[in-house]
Amino acid sequence: MAGAVHLLTTAGLCKSFGGVRVLSDVSLSLAAGEILAICGENGAGKSTLVKLLMGILHPDNGAIAIDGERVVVRGPQHAQALGLGFVAQELSLAPRLSIFDNIWLGGADVPLLHRTAQLRRRAQVALDALNAGDWNLDQPVGELSIGQRQIVEIARLFARNARLLILDEPTATLTDAEIERILGVLKSLRSQGRSVIYVTHRLGEVFALCDRVTVLRNGEHISTDPVAAITRTELIERMLGRSVGEMYPRASARAASGEAVTVERLNVPRQVRDFSFVAPCGKILCIAGQIGSGANIVTRALAGLVQNATGEVRLNGRLLPLGSVADCVARNVIFLSEDRAAEGLFHQMRVVDNLVASSLPRHARLGLLAWPALRRLAGRLAERLGIDKRRLRESATHLSGGNQQKVLFGRALRESGSCVLLMNEPTRGVDVGARADIYRLMRELCDQGFALIIASSDLEEVEGVADIVVTMYRGRAVARYERGEIDIGRILADITHPTELAQAS
Amino acid sequence: MSQLALWRRPLGAVRAVAVVALALTALSTPGFLSEPSALSLITTVSFIGCVAIGMTLITISGNIISFSLGALVGATAMVFVLAVNFGGVVFAFAAALTFAALTNALQGLVIGAMRANPIIVSIAATAIIYGVAEAFAEQGTIYAAAGTNYGIFRGKMLGLPIEFVVLLGATALAQFLLICTIFGRNLFMTGSSFAAAEIVGIRTWRTVTGAYLWAGLFAGLAGVMLAMRYDSASMSYGMGYEYDAVAAVLVGGTAIKGGEGSALRTLIGALVIAIIEAVLLLWGFRQEWQFLIAGVLVLAVVALQTRGRWD
Repeated sequence: MAGAVHLLTTAGLCKSFGGVRVLSDVSLSLAAGEILAICGENGAGKSTLVKLLMGILHPDNGAIAIDGERVVVRGPQHAQALGLGFVAQELSLAPRLSIFDNIWLGGADVPLLHRTAQLRRRAQVALDALNAGDWNLDQPVGELSIGQRQIVEIARLFARNARLLILDEPTATLTDAEIERILGVLKSLRSQGRSVIYVTHRLGEVFALCDRVTVLRNGEHISTDPVAAITRTELIERMLGRSVGEMYPRASARAASGEAVTVERLNVPRQVRDFSFVAPCGKILCIAGQIGSGANIVTRALAGLVQNATGEVRLNGRLLPLGSVADCVARNVIFLSEDRAAEGLFHQMRVVDNLVASSLPRHARLGLLAWPALRRLAGRLAERLGIDKRRLRESATHLSGGNQQKVLFGRALRESGSCVLLMNEPTRGVDVGARADIYRLMRELCDQGFALIIASSDLEEVEGVADIVVTMYRGRAVARYERGEIDIGRILADITHPTELAQAS
Repeated sequence: MSQLALWRRPLGAVRAVAVVALALTALSTPGFLSEPSALSLITTVSFIGCVAIGMTLITISGNIISFSLGALVGATAMVFVLAVNFGGVVFAFAAALTFAALTNALQGLVIGAMRANPIIVSIAATAIIYGVAEAFAEQGTIYAAAGTNYGIFRGKMLGLPIEFVVLLGATALAQFLLICTIFGRNLFMTGSSFAAAEIVGIRTWRTVTGAYLWAGLFAGLAGVMLAMRYDSASMSYGMGYEYDAVAAVLVGGTAIKGGEGSALRTLIGALVIAIIEAVLLLWGFRQEWQFLIAGVLVLAVVALQTRGRWD
């Protein structure tokens, strides 16, 4: 691309909020038909950079140029007119409206009555270009899978002639097959000369898809390299600013002390069938399954969150009633949801309130709280979790995704005694640095005698962290592997098309 | 994070300027500081204030507002008068407050356990309360029998009308509940995120029922005080109080979507509204204008609250 005018150039972009530098001196360039990955931990400045490009925020310093011409992006509508398009992490589609309506929803140059033959044709062209030409334009978006909706979002930008597509963590909630499809779509966009900025945590996708990769750390532009010239380890080290060492700490030699949880014939109508397993103390048991396999329902049922679950669950030999969260919590069975925003954090409340949320009854007498004791507890928890103690009084919304997950983790920590920790997708949306912290904490809990039961669709994580893996396919257990037998290939085969089940049915 | 900080600061500034401006206007309005004017102001604010304190708990619990608190005030006043005629003052206190707390807790139970829409439930409850009251008091107003003696409750304490002292006590109690008890913390958590509260092990239906029970009790106090002041009761006594209470909660700065707020803020909100209304009255505005101004004030506060939450 030497000599060619770049589609997008930024020079020395800076942005501060209230004296805190969140982005300093970012200079990038992007050619037509190029995919640029932007990597960095949470809080590295990725979102700020995207917001500057889309005109949602305005830079304190520095300039943006499109086709070599300096522009001031006034706002999202203006960015759209300039040929920039953005797909946010949370999709912004109206589920009751059709694919066609959604494609033109909010478009700057769409006439009042948008159901014209010409716009219909353009919408069809957009779907064709994304290998989705056979979709019915009049189907309500609510009937599509998350992956398909992602493609509608991309079609929306395509139809509006966006030459540069900015995607923020597009694959965070997708299954492997859906991810493949999105990657395919993006590659075909590239071959048509469109450019993509791809913000992601998933390093696999950086190497599979992107041409170059830019690393941001604490708002600084660390490096931009062709992906061919950088290794995975180098990339992680640049994001962290230190060497990684071992991402997944080994299990300590401490022998597990007996069976913590035995589950017999757990059933949830249409979701889980006759699922049985034993989870020992001091070990991490992973239930591996794709989205929709029911793995995340098993943990929810054990936490008392599924009203119509049946089966016999015993905790340390004593029966654990299903269907009551409060009873489970009282017996130290703690659940952490994969949906931190909706089912985890109390956003308006302070970090300290969030940390001690499930410890209140233990620090109260006749319903009156002992605040000094609670504050001391929160201080000790923050120390163990690696959260800055000065942030305890801040609102929890202000924390990064990784720190938020640590706070939720903190609710399960006990100063003495042990419990069962149930987790779904424990590191979804968590950056590499905080991820290592969370795995370390998980091991600490094991040493304390906890039983950890994790539902995960991230196979790399399953292989790295599990002592025992139970694979799951369409609501049934497929196989159980102990450490040493765990093999990513066999797990993948189990959870996608298990041979035994195929024969049985 | 910085977005939040950015919108909070102008809001804080707006608040400070508004309060100072209001204080200056009030103090420079002739007659504002005269004893009758001041007394009538803080007495009126006492009734609405108690309802607003109750409303605060409902708002924090994530159930927006209850329309039935005004009707509950009138009904409690009637229960009080009937009970005074039947069994004396102490009995009447117990009967009226129990009635208020249980009537409202029942609504809380329906909302908390069945997850019914709180607004609809409160509208239905309002209709039921008015309907039942109709049967008990066909002629509208019922009067306390002559010779009933609760004169001590009509006096003053520390130079303040006893009603206002009750309001201060109610505010302190509600604030204590919110900050120092498990119930209070559960209330904030339930209001902040219902799903997250369930996962933490909070029995949310109990928390919601508790919020309504206390709200009924605080609103009931207003009913009892009105009945004592006028030696009589009618359903018109609490009419419209729910709107004034909502205004006080919002102007005080409790978030309409739940999960944050305080009783102290509501007390300030109630005082601010009462002062504005008193000043308007002294300036010679008719009462319709007061309604208008209160409406505009609430809209402005809601608009300011909502602005920062878009992204």
